[in-house]
Amino acid sequence: MPEDLERFVQQHREEFEVPGPSPHLWDAIEKELGTQQGGAKIIPLVKRNWFRAAVIALLLINAGTMFFFISRNQQRKASLAVLAPDVAEAKTYYSSRINEKLKLINAYPLEELGLDSAARKELELRNETYKTLEKELKNNPGNERIKAALIRYYQLKLDLLDKILEELQEKKVTPEQTKKHYEAEI
Amino acid sequence: MKASATNLNQTQITDTLIDRCRKGDVRAFRELYNAYSGAMYNICLRMTNNVSDAEDTLQEAFIQVHRNIHKLENAGSVSAWIKRIVVNHCLNTLRKKKVYFEDPEVVEVEVEDGLDEEHFSWTVSAVKSAIETLPHGYRTVLNLYLFEDYSHKEIAEMLGISESTTKTQYMRAKEKVRQIVKQQNATR
Repeated sequence: MPEDLERFVQQHREEFEVPGPSPHLWDAIEKELGTQQGGAKIIPLVKRNWFRAAVIALLLINAGTMFFFISRNQQRKASLAVLAPDVAEAKTYYSSRINEKLKLINAYPLEELGLDSAARKELELRNETYKTLEKELKNNPGNERIKAALIRYYQLKLDLLDKILEELQEKKVTPEQTKKHYEAEI
Repeated sequence: MKASATNLNQTQITDTLIDRCRKGDVRAFRELYNAYSGAMYNICLRMTNNVSDAEDTLQEAFIQVHRNIHKLENAGSVSAWIKRIVVNHCLNTLRKKKVYFEDPEVVEVEVEDGLDEEHFSWTVSAVKSAIETLPHGYRTVLNLYLFEDYSHKEIAEMLGISESTTKTQYMRAKEKVRQIVKQQNATR
């Protein structure tokens, strides 16, 4: 009598495997994530000069947003949680982490921070770029590229704030705990 | 999941790597992709039964992994977490193809007489081709249980059917595979 199918599969498990997917699949994924021009270039730049990197990153984020202005649908009144629950969950997670970082950064004296008011405004969670992306998503709730752009926006911002904090800590600057110039809006 | 050997790449995935992924580090995400794409592609291929659907499904699944990476609590559970996303995407692909997992007709498993006197041998290629010829519903249950190591309870939840239905479908699928392989042996 032949052995049981389950036992046979267990004993020859590796032989059932085929080589992985086409090497081009990663390229397609990377393109879909919209990260080819963003993340890969920003990180080494930040290492050299975080302030310039901050400005470049903000420009990249803002430039990316312009793409979504091309088409606009009529305004629909619905919350993000209903229209795009997956993005709403990401928003909760990233907002909390971004706001933690912003509080730490804002505790530093302005002169140590070295950012002008416009740059500080850009670092806030709900800047113009964010509002535009969120509005576009509400107008086009099923648009995967807008969803990806919003997630990417959160990720880049979080990474950028981390780099700024690392830089400040490396300079051994002591934060002035009582000095808070603005509270992050949620 | 049932305790059994996993076919995943053993590349070390650390909390640091996951944290880099959360911050949008593409190189970190590529490391994650490289570690899991092989095993996950095999799941997609078994489930969808064709290369084109398998690659499309894998692509969609990894985009979902990237988007939801903040939900992953620690690197220790990354393997099961990615696998579940991939399996769910495979099931969605099948649903789009109008595959129904609930079998309206509950038919008794036909077991041939004289099993004890049978003489045939399993081979990997014969088993693979037999599974490929199974109807989608049978193949899905058989793959999830036999290859992806999910329990009947987990499979029932995933497919939205009762546990007794998954057990019945699994028995029938296994029996069909046995019959096909036996036939292949006879025609050799």
